[in-house]
Amino acid sequence: MQLRDFFSTDTVDLALKTETKDETLRALVGLFHLDEKSESILFKMLKRRETLGSTGIGRGIAIPHCRSLVVNRLRVAFGRHAAGLDFKAIDEKPVHYVFLIVAPPLEVSNQYLPVLGKIAQFSKEADVPDRLAGLESPKEFLQLLEEKGV
Amino acid sequence: MHEQLETLLEMQDLHMQRRALEEGDVREFESGVFDMSVEEALAALEDKISDLERRLTGDVQERYRRVIGSRHRAVVPVLGGVCYGCFVAVPTSWASESDPNAKMNVCQNCGRFHYYPP
Ligand SMILES: [Zn+2]
Repeated sequence: MQLRDFFSTDTVDLALKTETKDETLRALVGLFHLDEKSESILFKMLKRRETLGSTGIGRGIAIPHCRSLVVNRLRVAFGRHAAGLDFKAIDEKPVHYVFLIVAPPLEVSNQYLPVLGKIAQFSKEADVPDRLAGLESPKEFLQLLEEKGV
Repeated sequence: MHEQLETLLEMQDLHMQRRALEEGDVREFESGVFDMSVEEALAALEDKISDLERRLTGDVQERYRRVIGSRHRAVVPVLGGVCYGCFVAVPTSWASESDPNAKMNVCQNCGRFHYYPP
């Protein structure tokens, strides 16, 4: 299983124009093109997860995640925010890179935790924040994942 | 989508989060990678579930309490015409409606609420 296989260029937004954490979660959920109700349920669940503790793991990276009945397969998205967002991150620094992961409650292949783990692992690599900052297209994002071999 | 179904879906997601947090690997992950205080999180989820349960009305609340059971699954998806609570086929007339989630559907076999994923 490679992280690259879960992402596609249409769920990568390198120029988020959002002002807040909430707006950002909504914008990333929007990349999945669900119906309005499903989007709103998913947003609520992600927000709830954030109230249990921020998913900002430091170094400008956040990984909001949840399981929900409104998605029928594991979905991932990536967003980059140039100015940075207040995510109440562990290191209290602004968040520039957001990986969103959602999965249904029942998954045949049970990929949710492994994918979360791989994103966490990828995020810990020393050069990753700089590399993410330098990306010029969604395609380069996919290439970076490939290159890192996670 | 029916408003009560929406509440039930939210409750279901919270039940699921709570059950997941009670399991070893998710718990480890959330506390290890994300620094979550798991005991506080469990209490917060419990509170929210109780809050939402109060929002359910008469029949729905009664059925919810009856079917929630030990596995905490009161709402189950219908996938490929099959109830994912009891794995019995659902009469097709229901599934073919344009928005089956607009009304409350329950399984004739196991009594759980049905949700039709988009
Ligand atoms: Zn059933």
